[in-house]
Amino acid sequence: MESGKFSVGNEGREVFWNAEHFEALLFVFAGLAVLIFAYGVYRRWRMWKAIGKPEIRWDNAGERIKRLILDGLFQVKTFRERYPGIMHGLIFFGFFILIFGAFFDATEFHIAEPLGIEFLRGNIYLLFSVLMEIFGLFVLLGIIMALWRRYITKPDYLGYKGKSDNIPEDAIVLVLIGLIIITGFILEALRIGVTKPSWEVWSFGGWILAGAFAGVDHEQLKAWHKITWWGHAFLSMGFIAYIPYSRLLHMITTPANQFFSSLKPTGELQPIQDFENAETFGVGKLGDMTWKQIFDVDACTKCGRCQDGCPAYLSGKPLSPKKFIQDIKTYWVQKSSEVVAANKTAAGAGGTAEQKTAEEDKTLPGEVIDLHEIWACTNCMYCMEHCPALIEHVPKIVGMRQYKVLTEADFPPELQLTFRNMENNSNPWGIGSHLRGDWAKELGIKTLAEDPNVEYLYFVGCAGSFDDRGKKVATAFAKILQAAGVSFGILGTEESCCGDSAMRGGNEYLYQTLAQANIETMNGYNVKKIIATCPHGYNILKKEYRSFGGNYEVYHHTEIIADLIAKGKISLKKPVDKLFTYHDSCFLGRYNGIYDQPRNILNAVPGLKLAEMERNREKSFCCGAGGARMWMEEDIGDRINNMRTDQAIATGATGVALACPFCLTMLSDGIKDRKKDEQMEALDVAEIVWEAMGLEEKKAPAAAAEAPAA
Amino acid sequence: MRGRPIGALNEARIRKKEENVNIVACVKQVPDTEAQIKVKADGSGIEEGGIKWVMNPYDEYGVEEALRLKEKKGGEVTVVSLGPARVIETIRTALAMGADKGIHIQDAAFDNADAYTTALALAAAIKPLNADIIFCGQRAIDGDQGQVGAILADMLDIPHVAVVTKLEYTDGAIKATRPIEGAQILIEAKLPCLITAQKGLNEPRYASLPGIMKAKKKPVDVKNAASLGVTPSVNMKVVKFTPPPARAAGKIIGGDDPALKAKELARLLREEAKVI
Ligand code: SF4
Ligand code: SF4
Repeated sequence: MESGKFSVGNEGREVFWNAEHFEALLFVFAGLAVLIFAYGVYRRWRMWKAIGKPEIRWDNAGERIKRLILDGLFQVKTFRERYPGIMHGLIFFGFFILIFGAFFDATEFHIAEPLGIEFLRGNIYLLFSVLMEIFGLFVLLGIIMALWRRYITKPDYLGYKGKSDNIPEDAIVLVLIGLIIITGFILEALRIGVTKPSWEVWSFGGWILAGAFAGVDHEQLKAWHKITWWGHAFLSMGFIAYIPYSRLLHMITTPANQFFSSLKPTGELQPIQDFENAETFGVGKLGDMTWKQIFDVDACTKCGRCQDGCPAYLSGKPLSPKKFIQDIKTYWVQKSSEVVAANKTAAGAGGTAEQKTAEEDKTLPGEVIDLHEIWACTNCMYCMEHCPALIEHVPKIVGMRQYKVLTEADFPPELQLTFRNMENNSNPWGIGSHLRGDWAKELGIKTLAEDPNVEYLYFVGCAGSFDDRGKKVATAFAKILQAAGVSFGILGTEESCCGDSAMRGGNEYLYQTLAQANIETMNGYNVKKIIATCPHGYNILKKEYRSFGGNYEVYHHTEIIADLIAKGKISLKKPVDKLFTYHDSCFLGRYNGIYDQPRNILNAVPGLKLAEMERNREKSFCCGAGGARMWMEEDIGDRINNMRTDQAIATGATGVALACPFCLTMLSDGIKDRKKDEQMEALDVAEIVWEAMGLEEKKAPAAAAEAPAA
Repeated sequence: MRGRPIGALNEARIRKKEENVNIVACVKQVPDTEAQIKVKADGSGIEEGGIKWVMNPYDEYGVEEALRLKEKKGGEVTVVSLGPARVIETIRTALAMGADKGIHIQDAAFDNADAYTTALALAAAIKPLNADIIFCGQRAIDGDQGQVGAILADMLDIPHVAVVTKLEYTDGAIKATRPIEGAQILIEAKLPCLITAQKGLNEPRYASLPGIMKAKKKPVDVKNAASLGVTPSVNMKVVKFTPPPARAAGKIIGGDDPALKAKELARLLREEAKVI
């Protein structure tokens, strides 16, 4: 036997067995592979640097490293989807361990052994062998799962509207990795076939495979081994060299992007600072984005998770967040290469080639991205919540809207009416602003002008103030507060529209005007704590007003009610015998992580049963009204609110509980559209609670029955 | 989700045609339709506090048409408005939309000016401009008189085409469509002429932000009665404003028998409301 210095008790294997003179040559090729790799990364580096405004994304490194460890190393977001999560996990962890093992092996052989330390022996060697076998098989399994998914089951998210995204590179990468593993096993089997050390039974894969070579002449096996050895080596080095030239680049860009991801609260947008002197606003050209906004597109792996829950895409609109990112990427690859080339010539000639290329720039919204796409987005945040690369789609979409609205004033006419209404009457409906406080008049609610010494400001918002259905919610909530003895007041006619629809609709100028008016008023009253019944107002007051000196403690009414129930300040004694399903508002759920409070409230209502829709919590399906979509026509594809209504109907529930006035409108309309208004009703959580408190004496049962008709 | 062609508003890209048209658009500042109108205690006018002032919507069609004409043919748009200091806001709105310069006729002597006096002042301001075409709204939504355009045309001694919903411009002349009861008439007129705009003529644009910023720097000429050489004469005076009577409360017909309720409803409609 050729096991040489190894024996039972001192197990191990000879590195470079049957490849004694290959070592030097291998190093030459490996060096070459690394050079090709490095050149590729350098080329890409120049492209990353070519276009983009500066932005600091390396502050607070601790938090960033935490993200990198969670979503990069432990693949937390990747595992959110089971099949692709496991598939990627098998390949990722498998490969990670194998590469680590190879390093371990190489360190022992090239560094430790010459120093006389031989640690890869005995039980350690056996453990090492088993682990390498297991993780090798993991990778293989992952590759098979990936091939199966991509080429057999072909889920829609790996394409766009029935057209597959697949390019040859996708197959090349999978086959390449698969072949590296397979040749590795064959190599091992051939070695074991010749040397046959008894302990190699621990290398069970190679051991079993070696059975296939039983009876073959050893010289023949050694010849095959040499060929396979080089095959394996070339594939492995090819893999390294191929990284920066293929989708494998995501091994670098995706973790980098995770490190550079935004640390701001979900959805917070960067306010436009200078209205006076800028010539253009928002994202028109590539160069209007920051380097990080551009870098995003190079981190996209086309995994399609964003698309898989995008209400715009699923309802048949042209927008897919994946396609959106990929379209920018295609243009960026072309454009940045041009800029790199032009910079080179300019550096050579001392000229100004950069200017020349800048003039030929395409306008992203309109020329690279179809305008229907940017206006179809509901800002629901599904894409950003689930993107494993932590790509930031929504700020790009809003940026492009800003360009269309502010710079070009070219946008959907319905939205023009909305903006004018907000300008003239400080609400999107355009109802006279002097009527804002009227809903509260009969309830004895004081304005801060009348009594500023209250604990909470109830920021009613436009829906609660003007919309008939919204006013009922505001009334129910105010009555709850009164019953619980909470000290609160409203701004009445001094309140302005919060500006959410203006901001998300791209009209940053209008939004800032409204925000500043509100902040001035609220700071004038020294407001500290705010409650909002509208998640849009809640979100914008909590996160965006800070940029303009509005710092408040902001609560959503479901937080307050949940707290009142928990503290026993209100008691729910009147049973509501009904099956409800709760619809998560995007601006409450994904934007602010409020999933439990509304559910806790509903569970506290006697008699009420709760059924979950298939898409719930983080995966909730938007009602269709966010991102100023509330005010726009929906003339392509299905109506998003009807789709969501169908999902609610599918639970068998006869009530939809909501916590957002926009969702309330959308779901109420959906119920009417599906002709279910006889059997089903949409109610705000506050209305259900007020009903269950049983304090409304005379017309309590009628009120609930009447509600959805309003 | 339609949009106007990209860059329709981008002034830099507008090709200047040789045929430069000299365009004037008259605008009036009026209370927003949703504003709460309170009549002053003495009935002499309305309380102005808390009112959101906007450009008269019909004038907005006029401004938009003026801008479209300029974009097609080249030229210049001057906006002219009469009113107190707050009116500058409305002039700036038109400038933000793309008009080139403004004339603000501001003089306490013109407070409560009637249509004739208003036209007199406007005519004095517009005459030196040698306008090829003048746009006014067909009426203002506050006073609802619909006179200023016609009087102004008469004072300038040029043709007046009223209540236009479609306008075609061919050199030296216009073809305008005016709806009448159940039909349309097509009117041709030679320039210079005055058009009063009706809803349907166009969809007024939303001002771009660079437009808004630039508007702050565009020239606005402030004139008064003296500099215009006009002596305000009051020929017509509003004697008294009275608010409309408050709406009476609705009536709910009680009872259990639908047939009886229907009968009662029919009776009330016939005898009390007198609608059937
Ligand atoms: S925010 Fe929502 S609607 Fe917009 S692209 Fe992302 S998933 Fe689609
Ligand atoms: S944007 Fe993110 S979620 Fe969407 S395909 Fe790319 S990597 Fe996947």
